Amino acid sequence: MSNESLFNDNWLKLQRDYWEGLTDMGRKAMGLEDSRAQSNPWQAAMDQWWRTVSPAAPEPARDFMQRLLDQGKSYFGMVEQMTRGLQGADASKGGWDLLSKTFDDMQKAFSGQLSGGDEAVRKMMGFWEMPLDNWQRMMSSLSPMMPGDWLRNMPHDAVKGNFDRMLSAPGLGYSREEQAQYQDLTRRVLDYQGAFQEYMSFFSQLGFKSVQRMRDFVQARANDGQTIDSARTLYDSWVACCEDVYAEEVATPEYARIHGRLVNAQMALKKRMSVMVDENLGALNMPTRSELRTLQDRLQETRRENKQLRHDLDVIKRRLAALPAPAPARTTVSAQAPAPAPAEARKKVAARKKTAAKSSD
Amino acid sequence: MFPIDIRPDKLSQEMLDYSRKLGQGMENLLDAGEIDTGVTPRDAVYREDKLTLYRYQRPSEVAQQSVPLLVIYALVNRPYMTDIQENRSTIRGLLATGQDVYLIDWGYPDQADRSLTLDDYINGYVDRCVDHIRETHGLDKINILGICQGGTFSLMYTALHPDKVQNLVTMVTPVDFKTPDNLLSAWVQNIDIDLAVDTMGNIPGEILNWTFLSLKPFSLTGQKYVNMVDLLDDPEKVKNFLRMEKWIFDSPDQAGETFRQFAKDFYQNNAFINGTARVGERPVDLKQITCPVLNIYAMQDHLVPPDASKALNGMTGSEDYTELAFPGGHIGIYVSGKAQKEVTPAIGEWLNQRS
Repeated sequence: MSNESLFNDNWLKLQRDYWEGLTDMGRKAMGLEDSRAQSNPWQAAMDQWWRTVSPAAPEPARDFMQRLLDQGKSYFGMVEQMTRGLQGADASKGGWDLLSKTFDDMQKAFSGQLSGGDEAVRKMMGFWEMPLDNWQRMMSSLSPMMPGDWLRNMPHDAVKGNFDRMLSAPGLGYSREEQAQYQDLTRRVLDYQGAFQEYMSFFSQLGFKSVQRMRDFVQARANDGQTIDSARTLYDSWVACCEDVYAEEVATPEYARIHGRLVNAQMALKKRMSVMVDENLGALNMPTRSELRTLQDRLQETRRENKQLRHDLDVIKRRLAALPAPAPARTTVSAQAPAPAPAEARKKVAARKKTAAKSSD
Repeated sequence: MFPIDIRPDKLSQEMLDYSRKLGQGMENLLDAGEIDTGVTPRDAVYREDKLTLYRYQRPSEVAQQSVPLLVIYALVNRPYMTDIQENRSTIRGLLATGQDVYLIDWGYPDQADRSLTLDDYINGYVDRCVDHIRETHGLDKINILGICQGGTFSLMYTALHPDKVQNLVTMVTPVDFKTPDNLLSAWVQNIDIDLAVDTMGNIPGEILNWTFLSLKPFSLTGQKYVNMVDLLDDPEKVKNFLRMEKWIFDSPDQAGETFRQFAKDFYQNNAFINGTARVGERPVDLKQITCPVLNIYAMQDHLVPPDASKALNGMTGSEDYTELAFPGGHIGIYVSGKAQKEVTPAIGEWLNQRS
């Protein structure tokens, strides 16, 4: 077939590029990029040990130990990152150059400039992702339909413009309302994604600053003639630098804005989803969340009144009980009010009937 | 001098130690069994909805005070923090000073409790518990100890029912919610509370956990576990750690309407300071608090900074106001060894002088 035909090489290449692009986007969206894990011997041994013993452990102990193991990996991963090539180094043997390059690489990683899958840097980033990881775990627990890392790596700015145009098109016809709802849902997804990526970007900047703080700290130790001679001291120093920078940055109005935007965007998305779920439940003639809440409100109002009435009744009972006992009633006939005569009673009934007839006119 | 000098043999030794402790720790974890919390014997004396009022059993060898003490804990987290283990128990310490201690356990609200308001909690649950105790003891007034958010509740309750409170103790209680060092407050300012409550109904405990861990994420979710490995070879320390771990992540959901009002009125609008606090239809005037007040705060508190608590000074109508500063944090004030020696005896002595 000649290259001039309908299915020429360019067309096939376009198709291939399209599918590769789509696959790549999917991988990014799932957070699978650069997931080529490599373990050092210590980690491999720990993993092997854990695979052997963990099935015997009950669930709570297993989760807890997994956490200790993960933090251990993070701990020694950080030490590995900062000390590689430094053993036996000193100022004259280019130790400072090596250390400086390590800090440079870490800062590049935080600013997204470090290419390739450097395992040690990846672990270091993993340590810095703890606040993000907390958010993702919390998100996952609240929304089983939305895993915490959902949309995390999906390109945002590149697609938002086109989506915005598409979403601005008005719905048409019989399903107009439904179209509008899906458009709104998509808008909220994009808002959440934008907020989440801004949150991640803030943390990348924090990471960058933390490396600088660590660099300054190490320099200060050198100036004071002190050395860091254990992995634990190095790790604790790194945690202290990170925590100091974090405390400074999250106290700013800028962080309060980013934090608020993230939470609000998540809530807005979840609310839209709830409304749509409710509508589907309603269509199936099932009780909806909104109906349940109305009932809960009414029930609580009734219970509140009920408790107040019971309380008031108890007070009245107590007051009555505290009253002095009444003097025994005198039972002589002359003390009692005379009973109305039958004729007088009949007159009163007639009067009531007349009044009722007037008011109903 | 080159500042990093970690020899390969030393690094290997550290890795080996870590592995060994993990292995040993696994044994201790498997042997840890059920993690018990709340160690002092007690009796449930009143129940209403999910609330339980407990009365702690008093040691027979201690002279008893006639005015009972009601402990009002926060809705956030669980009150067993005050009685977490034998040698670290605020409750036990109070009993030792002769107090007759009651405690409100709020239980775990679910969606059916979403409509509970601050009014329901303060003029409803708390007031009925107070009435129950007053009737049991044949007294007009009792003592109240409010902890954290429970302290804020206690202030509101005492202002609204001054005729029922003889002495008020507040511990790590926020009063000024907008001090510059209050991170929690700074973060809440941009959150659309109405949207969150309308969306979630109740506010899940997971959100609160995330918020608290976010105050110091690297220490609380990373370094803490690395440090823990050093303790793993001591079964008792493992158990103590697991108790704390259980408490930290044991966060009840917050009844939606109460959360809405508390977060908006106090965290966003600083209701005590601005004089806008209300419970139900009634304004709360702290000047109505005329009973003796003991206000205890922790100097390293990252959840309720000292200035947030100290703001109470001068805001009540009490002529007998005392402050006690504890050199520790928000949790240490209940569980640290120092707190057992300094805080609970001081509360007991202060109450005994006024009961």
